[in-house]
Amino acid sequence: MLAPWHDFWGCAGGPVARLAPQIRILAGMALFAACLTAPAGTALGAGFIPVVALSWIAVCGVPRRVTKSLVLLGLAMFLPYFLLAPLLVGWRAAIADASAWTRAFTAPWDVFLHGLAGMVVATATAATLSASDLRRGLVALPVPRVFAAVLIQIVHQTSGLQFESKRVAAALAVRGATSGGRTALRVLTSLPQIWLPRIIGHADRIASAMELRGYAESDPCVFGRAAIRTADIASILAALGSLGLATALRCRWIA
Amino acid sequence: MNSRHALAFEDVSVRYESGAVPVLSDVTFSISAGERTAILGLNGSGKTTLLMAAVGLVGHEGGISVCGIPVGRDTVAKVREKIGFLFNVPEDQLLFPLVIEDAAFGLLARGQARGEAYRRAGKALDDLGSGGLAGWPIHKLSHGQKLRVALAGALVTRPPLLLLDEPSAGLDPPGKKALSQVLEGLDAAILVASHDLEFVERLCRRFIAIDDGRIVYDGEDLSAVRRKWGMEDAQAGS
Repeated sequence: MLAPWHDFWGCAGGPVARLAPQIRILAGMALFAACLTAPAGTALGAGFIPVVALSWIAVCGVPRRVTKSLVLLGLAMFLPYFLLAPLLVGWRAAIADASAWTRAFTAPWDVFLHGLAGMVVATATAATLSASDLRRGLVALPVPRVFAAVLIQIVHQTSGLQFESKRVAAALAVRGATSGGRTALRVLTSLPQIWLPRIIGHADRIASAMELRGYAESDPCVFGRAAIRTADIASILAALGSLGLATALRCRWIA
Repeated sequence: MNSRHALAFEDVSVRYESGAVPVLSDVTFSISAGERTAILGLNGSGKTTLLMAAVGLVGHEGGISVCGIPVGRDTVAKVREKIGFLFNVPEDQLLFPLVIEDAAFGLLARGQARGEAYRRAGKALDDLGSGGLAGWPIHKLSHGQKLRVALAGALVTRPPLLLLDEPSAGLDPPGKKALSQVLEGLDAAILVASHDLEFVERLCRRFIAIDDGRIVYDGEDLSAVRRKWGMEDAQAGS
């Protein structure tokens, strides 16, 4: 039984995956912020951002197959922004002023570099966290309990939703005698009538089970806290250092 | 209501909306400690609603008590501590990513130390023939495995009352036999909602049939239920 969503969580096996879960989350957040803060328009900034993102992927130990899919997805998401450049220039300005092209590419380049790096860092961080790690990490951080509980259950229950969606698609394909794109279209149009009520029913039953098993009332740390070691402290300091460097680059404290 | 009863219903009615036709009407029965009873009924007869009412998941009129504790808003937490519950879709009650975490949760939530909780959860899984699944992620399990894990989570706290909703649904014949053998070895009172007559015949000594939310039979003769369902001929021919 394949569950790509669940198989992705915790698939990384690098040194970062051995840190305390809360440190992985915090370091990932700091590096995500660093990638977004560093300026894409300067040579130092444009060098800093990919170095941070690629280094994080490497120390997280994200499998090559996942990294490739991730980068391809990122390129597909952010490269099209460059198509907007001609619209930003305007043909009269393009003829009159060659530097107008440089200016027109600034915004798409910003979006591309920040977006791709941010996505890579966030996904690599998620790849170091299994669903259990995510729960242990979130409950150790000062995040609102409801937010943590909802996020944990979203991750945990998503494979159920995937299978439910596959079952709906299979039933529609068989009963409607369609395949490929037509099935996809039917599934899409059936969302309000078929998929949504099923999902609501599913959510209702899970809510009953949570109530019955005392999920909300239980101590969120029942499964224990991970101990913080020297490597955890060094990692979080390095991540915060990167964020500090990105801030310095943004504020032009480093030319 | 007698405190020796693991579960007692007294003139219980359930309506999902006020003024609507009741899903359960004037249901009265009790189950003694250690007694194994089946609630039988066709689809939509009210079996699941009856179990839900017993744990306070649906409101009711009349009196329900579990081990002498009346089921009410203020007592529902105490009542639930006395009950192990198996939903009819077991995956709905698996709330944690790893099998051992899910099985141990009931003990951890009651303040049991982690090592001891995991040891007992491992034993509960072992007893159900699922000891090898302890480190597995829930989403990798088959239906039958999920059912056993859910049951381990319900049994691990050693509750005096087990409420099982369609526990044999989706199990193969050896799986059903193994499940009934495990349940037979427990001291707890068991109420099984099912329409699997073969399974409940193996497990239970008492049968309560409900139809349209009313008890229509309460006794030890399963053939009476078969006759009601028009299955006597099929049984004789098989």
